[in-house]
Amino acid sequence: MANSSLSDLLTSHRVIVTVGSGGVGKTTTAAAIALAGARAGRRVLCLTIDPAKRLATSLGLGSMSHEAQKIDSAVLGLAPDSKGSLTAMMLDVRRTFDELVTRYAQTPEARDRILSNSIYQQIASSLAGTPEYMAMEKLYALKDDPQYDLIVLDTPPTSNALDFLEAPDKMVAAMDSPTIRAFVSAFEKGGSMSLKLLSKAMAQVLQGLSKFTGAGFLEQIAGFLTDLQSMFGGFKERALKVREQLKSKSVAFVIVSSPEPMAVTESLFFAEKLVEGGMHLEAVVFNRVRRVDPVDVSSPQRIANILREADIEQPVELAAGILKAYHDASVWSRRDAGEIVRARRELPLVPRFIEVPAFDEDVYDLRALTRVANYVAPA
Amino acid sequence: MVDPALSRLLDKRFVAVTGKGGTGKTTLTAALALLAAQRGKRVLVCMSQARERMSATLETEFVGSEVKTILGSIDAVNMDPETCLEEYGLMVLKVRALYKAVMDNRVVKGFIRAVPGMDAWSMLGKALFHVKEQENGRNKYDLVLLDAPATGHGVQMLRVPLVIQKIAPPGLLRREAEDGIALMRDPSKCAVVVCTLPEEMPASETEELIATLRDELKLTVGGLFVNQVLSPLFAGKFDQALLASHALSEIPAFEPLATVTRARAIREEVQRNILERFAKLNAPRVYIPALPVERIRRPHAQALAKVLADGGV
Repeated sequence: MANSSLSDLLTSHRVIVTVGSGGVGKTTTAAAIALAGARAGRRVLCLTIDPAKRLATSLGLGSMSHEAQKIDSAVLGLAPDSKGSLTAMMLDVRRTFDELVTRYAQTPEARDRILSNSIYQQIASSLAGTPEYMAMEKLYALKDDPQYDLIVLDTPPTSNALDFLEAPDKMVAAMDSPTIRAFVSAFEKGGSMSLKLLSKAMAQVLQGLSKFTGAGFLEQIAGFLTDLQSMFGGFKERALKVREQLKSKSVAFVIVSSPEPMAVTESLFFAEKLVEGGMHLEAVVFNRVRRVDPVDVSSPQRIANILREADIEQPVELAAGILKAYHDASVWSRRDAGEIVRARRELPLVPRFIEVPAFDEDVYDLRALTRVANYVAPA
Repeated sequence: MVDPALSRLLDKRFVAVTGKGGTGKTTLTAALALLAAQRGKRVLVCMSQARERMSATLETEFVGSEVKTILGSIDAVNMDPETCLEEYGLMVLKVRALYKAVMDNRVVKGFIRAVPGMDAWSMLGKALFHVKEQENGRNKYDLVLLDAPATGHGVQMLRVPLVIQKIAPPGLLRREAEDGIALMRDPSKCAVVVCTLPEEMPASETEELIATLRDELKLTVGGLFVNQVLSPLFAGKFDQALLASHALSEIPAFEPLATVTRARAIREEVQRNILERFAKLNAPRVYIPALPVERIRRPHAQALAKVLADGGV
């Protein structure tokens, strides 16, 4: 029988990674897990990509800075003697990339060339796979930080949840393949395209290509790739290390889903891929589950009478509305329950299933976040 | 409430659908395609998904990287970057011999794929190519629908031609990008439609998205499609509904009714506020009622097409 709380994960693991498709409340769930961790006495770092502004504001993070910001224990409602704490950090993709360049460029000249390169400036934050890669870089930099007991990593929103695992590899592979190296070296020799050094066929190809791209563009790109490449040894090595560490027993993966059929199907697919990839899938969290207990609604008259006795205006119309609301809710409730049964049946090995009910209001303040945390890990 | 601008949406040549993940983009795209086809248009649906869901929605054959007819006058293709790049190369390099020389070269192919933004541009470029594609002396498609990636990635894709314009030297690539920009910015030919939900987080994301589309990318927002809109049961009776909930909560057997009533009343109130915010965005809007269905199938897409038509599309 699967557990219905994440409490044990909060103390047994070093890193919790939340994954899932877009629009399922992943960021909120990550924040709730982090809050639950702090309440359990852990010093937690919550690393997120793009928190909803109002959620950030309610945590006292008005400035939305990407620096680590410790959230006031009083705001969190932690006991004064609690060892727990919550630090939030927003991942700024561009800034992380800049930091990497600054740290790993082989010469100050190379660093300046990269940072001032117009291609770099345009693409540093939007290159496919960059946010995912930078999330991994950040995790790598922070995972051994003695200031924290638990790191909760909220993965970037992707249409396909698998991107998170594959994108960093793709980015590194695309930039560091033998083919790119061969190409780049063709440009390196003379500082610009030295066609003499290339085979005749290759030179023709490149001339054809530069007709398409316009004069000098290939050189510019090659120059940029050359500079970036000087740092790739480090990029690749770290991407591999992080990838390996994600398979460690101290890293728990949590799939966040909604009970929508499409989201459930995506989650099942993602669960399969995680397990295939050797990751430890420790829990599935269903957000916004609608549940209604059965009621005898055979007598609308009786409901209207109750309203009338309470002196509420238009009792008959209101009673009709209430019955319709009940009917709608019951239909949703049955469907959500069916989807969760399906997920549980398909994922017999997942040790924890959490159901967070749909709340009356959207979760974007601390009070609501605390309610979610209570479901994730009862205090 | 019907906005006359909506009646011209399907008369455009290129419509891109984007919005927050999980708001129903694919279903909306399918319904727009059905509606356009019903009106005698030849439609091409271009998807950019790792896992194609259109065929499940419309109960058709699986859609691969080759354009194929899936239903009546609807063609579809699921664009994968690699195939697109090859096709795109052929389209712009025109001469097959040159294309073969360029694209069959592993080194060059690897290099092009590594150029940032090339994947997105090849996909967008392919979709735009089909807008101009000719057959028997006329446009092959009346309407090209792009099921674009979710918000962040979708904006990235639509931004690529602007980036190329900024950084590429004068040449074919830049001209291609500039042609693309001109087409996308022509309000008589192109629009972006945004899919959203009447809830807080999707709403703020939608406001930001629309601002970016208009102010930065200078594109026309052709429609804001709000999914899962509840029909108001307690319109103007919010306080009474809460009082009713309270009265019912006193009777244990009716406790669930009290909970449901309160939840629905609050949800409707949140929805009312958000729809007011959406109204301020000055985009033509369509409200799509919430339907509890297990799997979206063709009848649902057809029902949605009717909702869209009734809403003015």
